[in-house]
Amino acid sequence: MTPVIVAESLTKLYGSRLAVDQVSFDVKPNEVLGLLGPNGSGKSTILRILTGYLRPTSGTAKVAGYDVIENGLEARGQLGYVPEDVPLYTHMRVYEFLELMGRLRGLAETSLPREVDQVVERLSLGAVRSLLISKLSRGYRQRVAIAQALLGKPKLLVLDEPTNGLDPRQIIEVRELIRTLARELSILVTSHILAEMERVAHRVAILLDGKLLSVHTLGGNGTSSRVRVRLRGSDEPTVRSRLSAVPDLAVAEAQPAQGTYVLESARGTAYAVRALVESGFAVEEASQAGTGLEELFLRLTEGAQR
Amino acid sequence: MKRFLPLLGKEVRALFYSPIAYIIIGVFLILMGYSFTITLFVNKFATLVHIFFQSAGLLFLLIPIITMRLFAEERKAGTLELLLTAPVRESHVVIAKYLASMAVVLAMIALTGTYAFVLGLFGSPEWGPIYSGYLGLALLSSTLVSLGLMISALTANQVVAAIVTIGISFLLWTIDTLAAMMPDALERVLISFSLLARFQPFVTGAMYLSDFGFFVSSTLLALFLAMRALARR
Repeated sequence: MTPVIVAESLTKLYGSRLAVDQVSFDVKPNEVLGLLGPNGSGKSTILRILTGYLRPTSGTAKVAGYDVIENGLEARGQLGYVPEDVPLYTHMRVYEFLELMGRLRGLAETSLPREVDQVVERLSLGAVRSLLISKLSRGYRQRVAIAQALLGKPKLLVLDEPTNGLDPRQIIEVRELIRTLARELSILVTSHILAEMERVAHRVAILLDGKLLSVHTLGGNGTSSRVRVRLRGSDEPTVRSRLSAVPDLAVAEAQPAQGTYVLESARGTAYAVRALVESGFAVEEASQAGTGLEELFLRLTEGAQR
Repeated sequence: MKRFLPLLGKEVRALFYSPIAYIIIGVFLILMGYSFTITLFVNKFATLVHIFFQSAGLLFLLIPIITMRLFAEERKAGTLELLLTAPVRESHVVIAKYLASMAVVLAMIALTGTYAFVLGLFGSPEWGPIYSGYLGLALLSSTLVSLGLMISALTANQVVAAIVTIGISFLLWTIDTLAAMMPDALERVLISFSLLARFQPFVTGAMYLSDFGFFVSSTLLALFLAMRALARR
Protein backbone atom coordinates (compact mmCIF):
# COMPACT_ATOMS: atom_id res chain seq x y z
CA MET A 1 0.00 0.00 0.00
CA THR A 2 1.23 3.52 -0.80
CA PRO A 3 2.46 5.34 2.32
CA VAL A 4 0.37 8.31 3.46
CA ILE A 5 3.53 10.24 4.35
CA VAL A 6 6.87 9.95 2.65
CA ALA A 7 9.52 12.28 4.08
CA GLU A 8 12.94 12.24 2.46
CA SER A 9 16.03 13.95 3.85
CA LEU A 10 14.04 16.72 5.50
CA THR A 11 16.32 19.47 6.77
CA LYS A 12 15.36 22.75 8.42
CA LEU A 13 17.74 25.50 9.39
CA TYR A 14 16.68 28.39 11.64
CA GLY A 15 19.45 30.84 10.82
CA SER A 16 22.55 28.82 11.53
CA ARG A 17 20.81 26.41 13.93
CA LEU A 18 20.03 23.00 12.49
CA ALA A 19 16.55 22.09 13.79
CA VAL A 20 15.96 19.05 11.57
CA ASP A 21 18.83 17.13 10.00
CA GLN A 22 18.25 14.82 7.02
CA VAL A 23 15.19 13.09 8.47
CA SER A 24 13.50 10.41 6.36
CA PHE A 25 10.54 8.22 7.32
CA ASP A 26 7.16 7.08 6.09
CA VAL A 27 3.72 6.46 7.55
CA LYS A 28 1.62 3.65 6.17
CA PRO A 29 -2.18 3.64 5.85
CA ASN A 30 -3.93 3.10 9.21
CA GLU A 31 -0.64 3.28 11.03
CA VAL A 32 0.09 5.35 14.13
CA LEU A 33 3.64 6.65 13.94
CA GLY A 34 4.99 8.38 17.02
CA LEU A 35 7.74 10.97 16.89
CA LEU A 36 9.47 10.67 20.22
CA GLY A 37 12.19 12.91 21.53
CA PRO A 38 13.05 15.42 24.23
CA ASN A 39 11.91 19.04 23.93
CA GLY A 40 13.76 20.80 21.14
CA SER A 41 14.52 17.61 19.24
CA GLY A 42 12.74 18.81 16.10
CA LYS A 43 9.41 16.97 16.44
CA SER A 44 7.16 20.00 16.03
CA THR A 45 9.31 21.39 13.21
CA ILE A 46 8.84 18.15 11.27
CA LEU A 47 5.06 18.33 11.80
CA ARG A 48 5.02 21.95 10.67
CA ILE A 49 6.89 21.04 7.50
CA LEU A 50 4.51 18.17 6.74
CA THR A 51 1.45 20.34 7.34
CA GLY A 52 2.80 23.10 5.10
CA TYR A 53 3.29 25.71 7.83
CA LEU A 54 7.08 25.70 7.46
CA ARG A 55 9.11 25.19 4.35
CA PRO A 56 12.03 22.78 4.60
CA THR A 57 15.51 24.13 3.86
CA SER A 58 16.04 20.97 1.82
CA GLY A 59 14.42 17.58 1.33
CA THR A 60 10.96 16.60 0.20
CA ALA A 61 7.77 15.42 1.82
CA LYS A 62 4.61 14.00 0.33
CA VAL A 63 1.20 13.60 1.93
CA ALA A 64 -1.06 11.08 0.18
CA GLY A 65 1.14 11.45 -2.89
CA TYR A 66 1.06 15.27 -2.97
CA ASP A 67 4.29 17.21 -2.48
CA VAL A 68 3.81 19.57 0.47
CA ILE A 69 5.50 22.44 -1.42
CA GLU A 70 4.62 21.85 -5.07
CA ASN A 71 1.03 20.77 -4.39
CA GLY A 72 0.63 22.34 -0.96
CA LEU A 73 -3.09 23.01 -1.27
CA GLU A 74 -3.87 19.41 -2.23
CA ALA A 75 -1.50 18.03 0.42
CA ARG A 76 -3.12 20.18 3.13
CA GLY A 77 -6.52 18.98 1.93
CA GLN A 78 -5.54 15.41 2.87
CA LEU A 79 -4.69 16.09 6.50
CA GLY A 80 -6.11 17.38 9.73
CA TYR A 81 -3.73 19.06 12.16
CA VAL A 82 -3.88 19.80 15.87
CA PRO A 83 -0.97 22.10 16.84
CA GLU A 84 0.64 21.77 20.26
CA ASP A 85 -0.98 24.64 22.16
CA VAL A 86 -4.41 23.97 20.63
CA PRO A 87 -4.90 27.40 19.05
CA LEU A 88 -8.58 28.16 18.43
CA TYR A 89 -10.66 31.23 17.60
CA THR A 90 -11.84 31.72 21.15
CA HIS A 91 -14.39 34.43 20.27
CA MET A 92 -16.39 31.89 18.30
CA ARG A 93 -18.91 29.35 19.52
CA VAL A 94 -17.93 25.69 19.06
CA TYR A 95 -20.32 25.04 16.17
CA GLU A 96 -19.39 28.32 14.45
CA PHE A 97 -15.72 27.40 14.61
CA LEU A 98 -16.36 23.90 13.28
CA GLU A 99 -18.51 25.29 10.46
CA LEU A 100 -15.76 27.77 9.54
CA MET A 101 -13.08 25.06 9.49
CA GLY A 102 -15.39 22.79 7.48
CA ARG A 103 -15.91 25.53 4.90
CA LEU A 104 -12.16 26.20 4.74
CA ARG A 105 -11.71 22.49 4.06
CA GLY A 106 -14.08 22.87 1.13
CA LEU A 107 -17.08 21.00 2.52
CA ALA A 108 -20.28 21.67 0.59
CA GLU A 109 -22.99 23.64 2.41
CA THR A 110 -25.32 20.65 2.01
CA SER A 111 -23.01 18.21 3.79
CA LEU A 112 -21.53 20.67 6.32
CA PRO A 113 -24.23 20.35 9.05
CA ARG A 114 -24.07 16.56 8.90
CA GLU A 115 -20.25 16.51 9.06
CA VAL A 116 -20.24 18.96 11.98
CA ASP A 117 -22.87 16.86 13.80
CA GLN A 118 -20.77 13.75 13.26
CA VAL A 119 -17.58 15.20 14.76
CA VAL A 120 -19.56 16.84 17.59
CA GLU A 121 -21.04 13.46 18.47
CA ARG A 122 -17.77 11.60 18.05
CA LEU A 123 -15.88 13.99 20.35
CA SER A 124 -18.83 14.28 22.79
CA LEU A 125 -19.13 18.02 22.27
CA GLY A 126 -22.93 18.12 22.22
CA ALA A 127 -23.20 19.79 25.63
CA VAL A 128 -20.86 22.63 24.69
CA ARG A 129 -21.57 23.13 20.99
CA SER A 130 -23.25 26.50 21.56
CA LEU A 131 -20.72 27.78 24.08
CA LEU A 132 -17.97 30.28 23.34
CA ILE A 133 -14.64 28.49 22.99
CA SER A 134 -13.13 30.96 25.48
CA LYS A 135 -15.41 29.44 28.15
CA LEU A 136 -14.23 25.85 27.58
CA SER A 137 -11.81 23.84 29.73
CA ARG A 138 -8.47 22.64 28.32
CA GLY A 139 -9.90 19.17 27.78
CA TYR A 140 -12.86 20.44 25.76
CA ARG A 141 -10.62 22.73 23.74
CA GLN A 142 -8.48 19.73 22.86
CA ARG A 143 -11.58 17.90 21.71
CA VAL A 144 -12.72 20.87 19.60
CA ALA A 145 -9.26 21.01 18.00
CA ILE A 146 -9.38 17.30 17.17
CA ALA A 147 -12.96 17.67 15.90
CA GLN A 148 -11.95 20.38 13.42
CA ALA A 149 -9.06 18.21 12.24
CA LEU A 150 -11.45 15.35 11.44
CA LEU A 151 -13.77 17.46 9.27
CA GLY A 152 -13.68 16.46 5.63
CA LYS A 153 -12.49 12.94 6.50
CA PRO A 154 -8.75 13.44 6.05
CA LYS A 155 -6.40 10.55 5.30
CA LEU A 156 -3.91 11.73 7.89
CA LEU A 157 -4.30 13.16 11.37
CA VAL A 158 -1.31 15.07 12.76
CA LEU A 159 -1.29 15.57 16.53
CA ASP A 160 1.40 17.59 18.28
CA GLU A 161 1.67 16.57 21.95
CA PRO A 162 -2.06 15.80 22.19
CA THR A 163 -2.05 14.93 25.89
CA ASN A 164 -0.19 18.03 27.11
CA GLY A 165 -2.01 19.81 29.90
CA LEU A 166 -4.76 17.18 30.21
CA ASP A 167 -5.78 15.43 33.42
CA PRO A 168 -5.38 11.62 33.67
CA ARG A 169 -8.97 10.93 32.64
CA GLN A 170 -8.68 13.17 29.59
CA ILE A 171 -5.35 11.55 28.67
CA ILE A 172 -7.01 8.13 28.67
CA GLU A 173 -9.85 9.49 26.51
CA VAL A 174 -7.43 10.96 23.95
CA ARG A 175 -5.48 7.69 23.90
CA GLU A 176 -8.67 5.71 23.28
CA LEU A 177 -9.66 8.15 20.56
CA ILE A 178 -6.31 7.74 18.79
CA ARG A 179 -6.70 3.96 18.86
CA THR A 180 -10.22 4.18 17.44
CA LEU A 181 -9.27 6.69 14.75
CA ALA A 182 -6.34 4.56 13.63
CA ARG A 183 -8.87 2.12 12.17
CA GLU A 184 -9.91 4.79 9.67
CA LEU A 185 -6.86 6.92 8.99
CA SER A 186 -3.13 7.29 9.55
CA ILE A 187 -1.92 9.23 12.55
CA LEU A 188 1.36 11.02 13.14
CA VAL A 189 1.69 11.95 16.78
CA THR A 190 4.48 13.54 18.79
CA SER A 191 5.24 13.14 22.44
CA HIS A 192 8.12 13.40 24.82
CA ILE A 193 6.47 10.82 27.07
CA LEU A 194 7.63 7.26 26.41
CA ALA A 195 4.67 5.59 28.08
CA GLU A 196 2.24 7.50 25.86
CA MET A 197 3.95 6.28 22.73
CA GLU A 198 4.04 2.69 23.90
CA ARG A 199 0.28 2.78 24.38
CA VAL A 200 -0.80 4.25 21.07
CA ALA A 201 1.86 3.93 18.37
CA HIS A 202 2.59 1.06 16.00
CA ARG A 203 6.06 2.45 15.32
CA VAL A 204 8.12 5.09 17.04
CA ALA A 205 10.72 7.32 15.41
CA ILE A 206 13.23 8.51 18.00
CA LEU A 207 14.64 11.98 17.47
CA LEU A 208 17.46 13.83 19.15
CA ASP A 209 18.87 17.23 18.18
CA GLY A 210 17.02 17.12 14.88
CA LYS A 211 18.41 13.72 13.87
CA LEU A 212 16.35 10.56 13.44
CA LEU A 213 18.17 7.96 15.53
CA SER A 214 15.97 4.94 14.97
CA VAL A 215 12.51 3.74 13.98
CA HIS A 216 11.28 1.11 16.43
CA THR A 217 8.32 -1.19 15.85
CA LEU A 218 5.88 -1.65 18.75
CA GLY A 219 2.86 -3.87 19.23
CA GLY A 220 0.77 -0.79 18.63
CA ASN A 221 -2.82 0.01 19.38
CA GLY A 222 -2.26 -0.63 23.07
CA THR A 223 -1.27 -4.25 22.58
CA SER A 224 2.29 -4.44 23.75
CA SER A 225 4.32 -6.90 21.72
CA ARG A 226 6.14 -8.09 24.85
CA VAL A 227 4.41 -10.33 27.35
CA ARG A 228 5.89 -11.39 30.68
CA VAL A 229 4.66 -14.83 31.82
CA ARG A 230 5.37 -17.18 34.72
CA LEU A 231 5.01 -20.84 33.80
CA ARG A 232 4.82 -23.71 36.27
CA GLY A 233 6.93 -26.84 35.83
CA SER A 234 8.45 -26.13 32.41
CA ASP A 235 12.13 -25.95 31.64
CA GLU A 236 13.62 -23.55 29.09
CA PRO A 237 14.33 -26.07 26.27
CA THR A 238 10.71 -27.31 26.44
CA VAL A 239 9.35 -23.75 26.33
CA ARG A 240 11.55 -22.82 23.39
CA SER A 241 10.85 -26.00 21.47
CA ARG A 242 7.04 -25.90 21.91
CA LEU A 243 6.79 -22.19 21.13
CA SER A 244 8.87 -22.54 17.97
CA ALA A 245 5.79 -24.18 16.43
CA VAL A 246 3.48 -21.28 17.41
CA PRO A 247 3.23 -18.49 14.83
CA ASP A 248 3.86 -14.83 15.86
CA LEU A 249 5.23 -15.85 19.26
CA ALA A 250 8.88 -16.14 20.31
CA VAL A 251 10.94 -16.16 23.50
CA ALA A 252 12.75 -12.83 23.95
CA GLU A 253 14.16 -13.28 27.44
CA ALA A 254 14.27 -16.24 29.80
CA GLN A 255 14.77 -16.58 33.55
CA PRO A 256 14.22 -20.35 33.89
CA ALA A 257 15.11 -20.38 37.58
CA GLN A 258 12.01 -18.31 38.35
CA GLY A 259 10.00 -19.85 35.51
CA THR A 260 9.67 -16.35 34.02
CA TYR A 261 9.82 -15.65 30.30
CA VAL A 262 9.36 -12.50 28.21
CA LEU A 263 7.72 -13.37 24.92
CA GLU A 264 7.49 -11.35 21.71
CA SER A 265 3.88 -11.58 20.57
CA ALA A 266 2.85 -9.91 17.34
CA ARG A 267 -0.82 -10.39 18.25
CA GLY A 268 -0.93 -9.07 21.80
CA THR A 269 -1.15 -10.50 25.30
CA ALA A 270 -4.40 -12.48 24.99
CA TYR A 271 -3.09 -14.34 21.97
CA ALA A 272 0.14 -15.24 23.77
CA VAL A 273 -1.68 -16.60 26.84
CA ARG A 274 -4.12 -18.59 24.73
CA ALA A 275 -1.28 -20.08 22.67
CA LEU A 276 0.62 -21.05 25.84
CA VAL A 277 -2.41 -22.78 27.34
CA GLU A 278 -3.16 -24.55 24.07
CA SER A 279 0.47 -25.70 23.98
CA GLY A 280 -0.01 -27.33 27.36
CA PHE A 281 1.71 -24.84 29.66
CA ALA A 282 0.42 -23.97 33.13
CA VAL A 283 0.35 -20.16 33.08
CA GLU A 284 0.52 -18.81 36.62
CA GLU A 285 0.87 -15.15 35.72
CA ALA A 286 0.83 -12.98 32.58
CA SER A 287 1.32 -9.26 32.08
CA GLN A 288 2.41 -6.77 29.45
CA ALA A 289 6.17 -6.41 29.69
CA GLY A 290 6.64 -3.08 28.02
CA THR A 291 8.23 -2.69 24.64
CA GLY A 292 11.80 -2.14 25.60
CA LEU A 293 11.34 1.37 24.26
CA GLU A 294 12.67 3.00 27.39
CA GLU A 295 15.93 1.07 27.27
CA LEU A 296 16.25 1.69 23.56
CA PHE A 297 15.56 5.41 23.96
CA LEU A 298 18.13 5.76 26.74
CA ARG A 299 20.71 3.76 24.84
CA LEU A 300 20.24 5.75 21.64
CA THR A 301 20.11 9.18 23.24
CA GLU A 302 23.08 8.48 25.53
CA GLY A 303 25.05 7.11 22.60
CA ALA A 304 24.28 10.18 20.50
CA GLN A 305 25.12 12.63 23.26
CA ARG A 306 28.46 11.01 24.01
CA MET B 1 -14.17 31.62 -4.07
CA LYS B 2 -15.81 28.75 -2.16
CA ARG B 3 -13.12 28.99 0.54
CA PHE B 4 -12.51 32.73 0.18
CA LEU B 5 -15.95 33.89 1.32
CA PRO B 6 -15.76 32.03 4.66
CA LEU B 7 -12.33 33.60 5.18
CA LEU B 8 -13.73 37.06 4.47
CA GLY B 9 -16.66 36.42 6.81
CA LYS B 10 -14.27 35.33 9.56
CA GLU B 11 -12.21 38.51 9.19
CA VAL B 12 -15.19 40.86 9.13
CA ARG B 13 -16.62 39.12 12.16
CA ALA B 14 -13.30 39.27 14.01
CA LEU B 15 -13.06 43.02 13.41
CA PHE B 16 -16.62 43.77 14.43
CA TYR B 17 -16.51 41.34 17.35
CA SER B 18 -13.78 43.41 18.92
CA PRO B 19 -14.84 46.73 20.49
CA ILE B 20 -11.85 48.36 18.77
CA ALA B 21 -13.72 48.83 15.46
CA TYR B 22 -16.65 50.59 17.16
CA ILE B 23 -14.38 52.77 19.30
CA ILE B 24 -12.32 53.81 16.28
CA ILE B 25 -15.40 54.63 14.21
CA GLY B 26 -16.94 56.49 17.16
CA VAL B 27 -13.83 58.56 17.91
CA PHE B 28 -13.35 59.34 14.23
CA LEU B 29 -16.94 60.54 13.79
CA ILE B 30 -16.93 62.63 16.98
CA LEU B 31 -13.71 64.40 16.04
CA MET B 32 -14.75 64.90 12.44
CA GLY B 33 -18.23 66.11 13.44
CA TYR B 34 -16.68 68.62 15.85
CA SER B 35 -14.22 69.80 13.20
CA PHE B 36 -16.94 70.06 10.51
CA THR B 37 -19.23 72.10 12.74
CA ILE B 38 -16.53 74.52 13.90
CA THR B 39 -15.14 74.99 10.37
CA LEU B 40 -18.61 75.56 8.94
CA PHE B 41 -19.55 78.17 11.54
CA VAL B 42 -16.24 80.03 11.28
CA ASN B 43 -15.71 79.96 7.49
CA LYS B 44 -19.32 79.67 6.32
CA PHE B 45 -18.05 77.96 3.13
CA ALA B 46 -19.88 74.96 1.70
CA THR B 47 -16.74 72.86 1.29
CA LEU B 48 -15.26 69.67 2.74
CA VAL B 49 -11.59 70.42 1.95
CA HIS B 50 -10.67 70.77 5.62
CA ILE B 51 -12.59 67.64 6.51
CA PHE B 52 -10.73 65.64 3.88
CA PHE B 53 -7.32 66.74 5.18
CA GLN B 54 -8.30 66.22 8.80
CA SER B 55 -9.78 62.81 7.96
CA ALA B 56 -6.53 61.86 6.24
CA GLY B 57 -4.57 62.95 9.33
CA LEU B 58 -6.77 60.85 11.62
CA LEU B 59 -6.64 57.86 9.29
CA PHE B 60 -2.85 57.85 9.67
CA LEU B 61 -3.37 57.22 13.38
CA LEU B 62 -6.46 55.01 13.30
CA ILE B 63 -5.75 52.64 10.40
CA PRO B 64 -2.61 51.20 12.05
CA ILE B 65 -4.76 50.38 15.10
CA ILE B 66 -7.11 48.40 12.84
CA THR B 67 -4.34 46.66 10.90
CA MET B 68 -1.90 45.96 13.74
CA ARG B 69 -3.79 42.87 14.89
CA LEU B 70 -4.46 41.32 11.48
CA PHE B 71 -1.52 38.93 11.42
CA ALA B 72 0.34 39.83 14.62
CA GLU B 73 -2.54 38.68 16.83
CA GLU B 74 -3.05 35.43 14.90
CA ARG B 75 0.67 34.73 15.00
CA LYS B 76 0.85 35.31 18.76
CA ALA B 77 -2.27 33.25 19.49
CA GLY B 78 -1.06 30.44 17.22
CA THR B 79 -4.22 30.53 15.09
CA LEU B 80 -2.11 31.54 12.07
CA GLU B 81 -0.76 27.97 12.15
CA LEU B 82 -4.29 26.62 12.14
CA LEU B 83 -5.28 28.92 9.28
CA LEU B 84 -2.26 28.37 7.05
CA THR B 85 -2.29 24.58 7.45
CA ALA B 86 -5.91 24.47 6.24
CA PRO B 87 -6.27 24.00 2.48
CA VAL B 88 -6.55 27.74 1.77
CA ARG B 89 -4.31 29.97 -0.36
CA GLU B 90 -2.07 32.45 1.40
CA SER B 91 -3.17 35.09 -1.12
CA HIS B 92 -6.80 34.54 -0.09
CA VAL B 93 -5.90 34.97 3.58
CA VAL B 94 -4.16 38.28 2.81
CA ILE B 95 -6.91 39.61 0.54
CA ALA B 96 -9.64 38.64 3.03
CA LYS B 97 -7.90 40.57 5.79
CA TYR B 98 -7.38 43.55 3.47
CA LEU B 99 -11.03 43.66 2.34
CA ALA B 100 -12.38 43.27 5.88
CA SER B 101 -10.21 46.15 7.12
CA MET B 102 -11.21 48.28 4.15
CA ALA B 103 -14.85 47.58 4.99
CA VAL B 104 -14.36 49.13 8.44
CA VAL B 105 -12.45 52.13 7.07
CA LEU B 106 -14.87 52.74 4.20
CA ALA B 107 -17.84 52.49 6.57
CA MET B 108 -16.16 55.10 8.74
CA ILE B 109 -15.52 57.41 5.79
CA ALA B 110 -18.99 56.82 4.33
CA LEU B 111 -20.60 57.97 7.58
CA THR B 112 -18.99 61.40 7.09
CA GLY B 113 -21.19 61.62 3.98
CA THR B 114 -23.76 63.16 6.32
CA TYR B 115 -21.62 66.34 6.27
CA ALA B 116 -21.94 66.53 2.49
CA PHE B 117 -25.67 65.94 2.90
CA VAL B 118 -25.90 68.83 5.39
CA LEU B 119 -23.95 71.09 3.02
CA GLY B 120 -26.25 70.15 0.15
CA LEU B 121 -29.31 70.82 2.31
CA PHE B 122 -28.33 74.30 3.46
CA GLY B 123 -25.89 75.51 0.77
CA SER B 124 -24.75 74.93 -2.77
CA PRO B 125 -21.45 73.07 -2.57
CA GLU B 126 -19.34 72.21 -5.56
CA TRP B 127 -19.93 68.48 -5.81
CA GLY B 128 -16.93 67.59 -8.03
CA PRO B 129 -14.23 68.09 -5.33
CA ILE B 130 -16.46 66.33 -2.80
CA TYR B 131 -16.72 63.20 -4.95
CA SER B 132 -13.03 63.27 -5.84
CA GLY B 133 -12.11 63.98 -2.21
CA TYR B 134 -13.96 60.88 -1.07
CA LEU B 135 -12.28 58.86 -3.82
CA GLY B 136 -8.90 60.22 -2.66
CA LEU B 137 -9.66 59.25 0.95
CA ALA B 138 -10.63 55.74 -0.15
CA LEU B 139 -7.46 55.34 -2.21
CA LEU B 140 -5.24 56.73 0.56
CA SER B 141 -6.91 54.36 3.03
CA SER B 142 -6.25 51.45 0.69
CA THR B 143 -2.52 52.21 0.63
CA LEU B 144 -2.41 52.67 4.42
CA VAL B 145 -4.38 49.47 5.12
CA SER B 146 -2.18 47.37 2.84
CA LEU B 147 0.97 48.91 4.36
CA GLY B 148 -0.29 48.14 7.87
CA LEU B 149 -1.25 44.63 6.86
CA MET B 150 2.20 44.01 5.37
CA ILE B 151 3.93 45.17 8.55
CA SER B 152 1.57 43.10 10.71
CA ALA B 153 2.62 40.04 8.66
CA LEU B 154 6.22 40.61 9.72
CA THR B 155 5.81 40.63 13.50
CA ALA B 156 3.98 38.90 16.35
CA ASN B 157 3.85 42.14 18.35
CA GLN B 158 0.80 44.31 17.71
CA VAL B 159 2.29 47.45 19.25
CA VAL B 160 5.40 47.14 17.12
CA ALA B 161 3.20 46.67 14.03
CA ALA B 162 1.17 49.82 14.85
CA ILE B 163 4.16 52.04 15.63
CA VAL B 164 6.14 51.00 12.55
CA THR B 165 3.07 51.52 10.34
CA ILE B 166 2.46 55.00 11.79
CA GLY B 167 6.16 55.86 11.34
CA ILE B 168 6.35 54.75 7.71
CA SER B 169 2.98 56.33 6.86
CA PHE B 170 3.99 59.71 8.27
CA LEU B 171 7.35 59.52 6.54
CA LEU B 172 5.60 58.90 3.21
CA TRP B 173 3.06 61.71 3.96
CA THR B 174 5.72 64.29 4.63
CA ILE B 175 8.49 63.11 2.36
CA ASP B 176 7.93 66.08 0.01
CA THR B 177 9.37 68.37 2.71
CA LEU B 178 12.57 66.36 2.60
CA ALA B 179 12.41 66.33 -1.21
CA ALA B 180 12.53 70.14 -1.32
CA MET B 181 16.04 69.99 0.16
CA MET B 182 17.32 67.51 -2.42
CA PRO B 183 18.77 67.97 -5.93
CA ASP B 184 16.17 68.18 -8.70
CA ALA B 185 16.42 64.58 -9.90
CA LEU B 186 16.09 63.15 -6.40
CA GLU B 187 13.37 65.65 -5.53
CA ARG B 188 11.18 64.37 -8.34
CA VAL B 189 11.69 60.76 -7.23
CA LEU B 190 10.92 61.53 -3.59
CA ILE B 191 7.84 63.62 -4.41
CA SER B 192 6.48 60.75 -6.47
CA PHE B 193 6.34 58.74 -3.22
CA SER B 194 4.70 61.53 -1.23
CA LEU B 195 1.24 60.54 -0.05
CA LEU B 196 0.40 64.21 0.54
CA ALA B 197 1.39 65.19 -2.99
CA ARG B 198 -0.68 62.30 -4.38
CA PHE B 199 -3.70 63.00 -2.18
CA GLN B 200 -3.87 66.80 -2.52
CA PRO B 201 -5.18 66.95 -6.11
CA PHE B 202 -8.15 64.73 -5.25
CA VAL B 203 -9.25 67.15 -2.52
CA THR B 204 -9.19 70.11 -4.88
CA GLY B 205 -11.13 68.26 -7.53
CA ALA B 206 -8.19 67.51 -9.81
CA MET B 207 -7.78 63.81 -10.53
CA TYR B 208 -4.72 62.47 -12.29
CA LEU B 209 -4.40 58.95 -13.57
CA SER B 210 -0.82 58.84 -12.22
CA ASP B 211 -2.05 59.50 -8.66
CA PHE B 212 -4.78 56.91 -9.05
CA GLY B 213 -2.19 54.45 -10.40
CA PHE B 214 0.16 55.23 -7.50
CA PHE B 215 -2.40 54.35 -4.84
CA VAL B 216 -3.52 51.20 -6.67
CA SER B 217 0.01 49.99 -7.40
CA SER B 218 1.28 50.76 -3.88
CA THR B 219 -1.68 48.76 -2.48
CA LEU B 220 -0.92 45.81 -4.75
CA LEU B 221 2.79 45.96 -3.94
CA ALA B 222 2.16 45.97 -0.18
CA LEU B 223 -0.33 43.08 -0.48
CA PHE B 224 2.17 41.15 -2.58
CA LEU B 225 4.90 41.77 0.00
CA ALA B 226 2.51 40.63 2.75
CA MET B 227 2.00 37.37 0.85
CA ARG B 228 5.77 36.99 0.48
CA ALA B 229 6.22 37.67 4.19
CA LEU B 230 3.74 34.89 4.95
CA ALA B 231 5.42 32.53 2.49
CA ARG B 232 8.84 33.15 4.09
CA ARG B 233 8.33 30.71 6.93
